[in-house]
Amino acid sequence: MDSARPKERPTAFDRMLAPVHRWIWSDTDRRVQKLLRFSETETDGGRDILRAAEVTSDPLLRRLYLEHAIDEFRHGVLFRHRAAALLKVSPSGSNPGFQGDWLAPGGHGLDDLQVDGESDSDMLAFLHLSEKAAASRFTIYREVMRHDPPTRAVFEEILHDETFHMNYTLTQLARVEPERHRRHLWRARLSRIWKAYLRLATGVAGILGSMLLTIQYFVLLPPFAWLAKRAARREPSGWTMVSPGQSASLDRQY
Amino acid sequence: MKILGISAHYHDSAAALVVDGVPVCAVQEERLSRHKGDAAFPLLAIESCLQHAGIAPDELDAVVFYERPMLKFDRILTCALRAFPQSWRAFPKAMKNSLGEKVWMRGIISSYLGVPGRKVLFTEHHQSHAAAAFLTAPTRRAAIMTADAVGEWATLSVGDGERLLNGATIIRRFREIRFPHSLGMLYSTFTAYLGFKVNEDEYKVMGLAAYGQPKLVEQVRKLIRRTPDGAFALDLNYFEFHTTAERSYSSRFIELFGPPRNPYEPIDLDTAEGQRFADCAASVQRVLEDTIVELAQALHQETGLTDLCFGGGVALNGVANARLLAESGFERIFVPSAPGDAGCAIGAALYCDRVHFGNSDRDLPDHPFWGPSVDGSELARLAREDGHYAVEFQDGALIDQVADDLAAGHIVGWMEGALEFGPRALGHRSILAAPHTAEMRDRLNREIKYREPFRPFAPVVPIETAARYFDIPPGGTRLARFMSGVFPVRREWRSRLQAITHVDGTARLQALEPTMAPRLHALLEAYGRRTGIPVLLNTSFNLAGEPIVNRAVEGYSAFLRCKIDVLVAGGTRVIKRPSATARTQVDKLKIREEVA
Repeated sequence: MDSARPKERPTAFDRMLAPVHRWIWSDTDRRVQKLLRFSETETDGGRDILRAAEVTSDPLLRRLYLEHAIDEFRHGVLFRHRAAALLKVSPSGSNPGFQGDWLAPGGHGLDDLQVDGESDSDMLAFLHLSEKAAASRFTIYREVMRHDPPTRAVFEEILHDETFHMNYTLTQLARVEPERHRRHLWRARLSRIWKAYLRLATGVAGILGSMLLTIQYFVLLPPFAWLAKRAARREPSGWTMVSPGQSASLDRQY
Repeated sequence: MKILGISAHYHDSAAALVVDGVPVCAVQEERLSRHKGDAAFPLLAIESCLQHAGIAPDELDAVVFYERPMLKFDRILTCALRAFPQSWRAFPKAMKNSLGEKVWMRGIISSYLGVPGRKVLFTEHHQSHAAAAFLTAPTRRAAIMTADAVGEWATLSVGDGERLLNGATIIRRFREIRFPHSLGMLYSTFTAYLGFKVNEDEYKVMGLAAYGQPKLVEQVRKLIRRTPDGAFALDLNYFEFHTTAERSYSSRFIELFGPPRNPYEPIDLDTAEGQRFADCAASVQRVLEDTIVELAQALHQETGLTDLCFGGGVALNGVANARLLAESGFERIFVPSAPGDAGCAIGAALYCDRVHFGNSDRDLPDHPFWGPSVDGSELARLAREDGHYAVEFQDGALIDQVADDLAAGHIVGWMEGALEFGPRALGHRSILAAPHTAEMRDRLNREIKYREPFRPFAPVVPIETAARYFDIPPGGTRLARFMSGVFPVRREWRSRLQAITHVDGTARLQALEPTMAPRLHALLEAYGRRTGIPVLLNTSFNLAGEPIVNRAVEGYSAFLRCKIDVLVAGGTRVIKRPSATARTQVDKLKIREEVA
């Protein structure tokens, strides 16, 4: 059985991109940003898997998911600590990153995993493919990280866990769906492709939207900006009186 | 009349259902979705409320959203215009963000719930805060003050409320301070500067403040000046939150206070740098308190009322609340259990019922337990499936057993009844422990909560004996009802209440009335009989980065991942089988941290 289990191995696509990865990871600041993003992803993933542990009715899966979730949280910590260590030696100094959230998106992403609605088999298939993809990518990262042994060691360690996760999810999928586990894997693959398309489409739409809005900002807004600034200058500071009828009607959105 | 209140899309979404003038259910989305501070449209919370009451969406008489989306959009657009051209990066984000979903609330609510658009109503953000503070408070007439980061335009408002003898309700707002001049944004800017998460970690600034001296008050006062009419205005040269989405403070702010803290580095209070950050926290805390107290003093003089209802995120600042009580002139201060945006769901629904529909005032139950109930049998089943020791007790025997556990130094995860509405665990989803030694505090920080050592833990004490251990001023027990005030621990008890006494000798206590949480009250008494001190450490039942647990299964998963010794849900008590206690999440993280 063990020999049939998948081992971590980079996909052809990832191998092809190795020079790009090498370039990305060669810069300390980029490395910090990537590690911090990984930290968030692993922690978020841990929460999803934790949720899966809470909603499954299968006691064995519950225990495995819990262990898995704890691993993901640990990976988040490992990435964050490594990023913090690199920040100390970063030539550009520390960059605390985004701080305000008055523009908080106020929703979940398009590809958010809806754990509560997933069956055990769908969840296992999804996890298996995610872990496999992560293992493939992390194998490449480990290889391009020869110039940074501590970061390489982090990937090495996480890769070890990812291989276990990849294997147990496949074994369990075969246990809970002995007849149809391949079908679940294919469905999960298609779902990943669809989600990748959604991410790409959203990304492209986002860029186009930003471009159009930026053009509008500079072309259409200046006269309104002038008026708004003039109005702001005339605005008294301090209290603004609230007239009794100002918010009397609850039908209005303004 | 059935009215659903909704708050969403900024942080901490929630839904609340009011039936015939009384809340029957209120729950934050994060408690169900398990995403901390979930800001998404609260579908799960709505579903939970409707299910609880057994009603279908089409039976609702009204659905009230807690703010006016177009008015908010007006503010966002106007601010972008005023900050032209510096706002060019923020503008596309802000527009996409607002136009993508947030301004279309009537249609969104209508389509999600299948209710006609005419049934969807809107209150103003600070109107919702005011209603949540006043209409849930047991007072007939009170001054009302609300303060937060920002609603539509208002950031702070003052007014009053009255329940008339004929059953009618009046809530008036006299005046407001408008964005970008905001006490909440001032505090949040320091939260970001000190390397904490905005809108989430403000309480860490308050905890850190106790370790510092307000040496930088003069510098902070440069940021906020009082206006001749008694309000305040921020000096916007020190801020960027109104122009960019990247950073809330400006380079001038950094020139004034020094480099910001790297959020990935722990605060070491033994270093000059760590002390500087603590002094910053102490200074902004002091200025916030002074400003709030002065505003409340003026409101007291203006209204001549004895009661103040205080709402909005700033009302979560227990130190400021205690100073309000001591110095503002008001005799009683009412802060609801959920003064932040989540509480606006209940405020909007109650406002709609009392003011919009003109329904008669009703006395409301004065407790925070409006969420789903916990099922002890679910815990027993899970624990047995995993081979842990689960015993279902009769009530009295359970209380005695848990009191023994606590007296023996065990840490107990305690779940009973309905979930709290609001950020505080007030005895239904709590981690309880003996409050006597500093070792217990350190153990909780290290092995369970996994958090910064400068953050204090809160005590819970029966209201009858609270004054023996804590120096509570007149009116203080009301603030202590929902853990909204910070008061001194009596000097003679500090050495025996080390785990809950903050470095400045204070504690954010909960004074518990027997009727509010009878089982916890009985547990406190039983613990007192064993140890002589009926005080317990009471911290929220969650692990770092997670929302407070709701169902038994969530408490159970937290229990398995940390070193809580005993888990109680309803009448079920669970302890781990020995092999399961060997490796927990905290152990793993700790080991790897040492390696890292």
